[in-house]
Amino acid sequence: MRIGMRLAAAITVMNVLAATDLSAQFQPAGSLGALAPANLAKPRPKPPFDLTGTWLHGGGANNGFRFSPPEGFKLTPEAQKHYDAAQKAQAEGKVYRDDIGQCWPAGLPVIMTRVWPIAMIQLPTAIYMVSEFMNSFRVVYMDGRPHTDPDIAVPSFNGESIGRWEGDTLVIDTKYFVPDHHWIDSGIPGSDALHIVERMKLTNQGQTLEIEYTLTDPKSWVGDWKMTKRWRRVDDRDIAEVSCLPDLNQHMPTTQSKDNVR
Amino acid sequence: MKRFVTATFLMIGLFSAFAAYAHHAAAGIDRSKTVTIEGTVKQFKWGNPHSWLDLEVANQKGSVDVWSLEMTSPAFLVPLGWKATTLKAGDKVKAVVQPFKNGDPGGLFISVTLPDGKVMGQRGGAPAAPATPPPASTK
Repeated sequence: MRIGMRLAAAITVMNVLAATDLSAQFQPAGSLGALAPANLAKPRPKPPFDLTGTWLHGGGANNGFRFSPPEGFKLTPEAQKHYDAAQKAQAEGKVYRDDIGQCWPAGLPVIMTRVWPIAMIQLPTAIYMVSEFMNSFRVVYMDGRPHTDPDIAVPSFNGESIGRWEGDTLVIDTKYFVPDHHWIDSGIPGSDALHIVERMKLTNQGQTLEIEYTLTDPKSWVGDWKMTKRWRRVDDRDIAEVSCLPDLNQHMPTTQSKDNVR
Repeated sequence: MKRFVTATFLMIGLFSAFAAYAHHAAAGIDRSKTVTIEGTVKQFKWGNPHSWLDLEVANQKGSVDVWSLEMTSPAFLVPLGWKATTLKAGDKVKAVVQPFKNGDPGGLFISVTLPDGKVMGQRGGAPAAPATPPPASTK
């Protein structure tokens, strides 16, 4: 009898857990999700532009896919160890901690310039971005919610993005990143203190998306790093399913090579 | 099956111009040379983010090595005429490869000569342009 009651209690607890909302973006009780019709229907100013479309990074001068640090950059001692190790690996013809090659997510900001197109869908309450590269998912909340309480925020590779309109510019503030396996450039780690501000504009009659990045990470480097990247609309493209699967790397000689410095 | 190797030195920088439809860096590959191998298709994988070609190639010890050859994605291959059926298991082919520096079987796919003599290459993505790129000071 006693065992039966314990079993019943355990099942009850399991049912409660199973019914719990497992959303990773916590909102106060009673708030509306970004896709709730009542949230979408709330009156809001008309946005200055619509990002909905497929975008591909590249083209033009000073628009490389790397987020290279600025001249005179200064790393923290901890980050400098990684950077020095990457320099050493490169001098030896090796590759330092190519975590993307081991199927770790690229993470923001690198995922934005991965040379695979990004599908963006803009709604009044949120902008959804899916990179074809590993189908990396990103959502920018536009419904006025604040960042999640840091005590419960779940770190991720793309972070938590909150956007707002400033005149003709979309300003996106992103934080809550994972503390490791996340690189800004070779040997330059992004930490859980990484903070990214993107200022987005459409130019060239809406055919070019320009993003000015400001990267700060007091655990990895000193000061703000600013850089500007550009994407073009690719209206003839759709994105497909792209996954890093266990059998992929078995057939990729380069990811199996001993010249990878783990 | 006879394996023969011809080393061809290519202009340094040729491949750095390729776009990076890649998910990783090119560790371990000698990108300054190519080798030509003859073998039998074990598997031709048509998929994202990379296709690959596994070739069974006779070695000098009298046994068979499997060379995994890393290719780009179908998005780059289709415009060149590639199909999922371009290669099938059992096909006898000749392939041009950028090999491992240490001599292990395997490398980056450059081109293949099909059983009917047609040569199929790839472009727009040496499959191993850096994903985690080299240190910034040496770009």
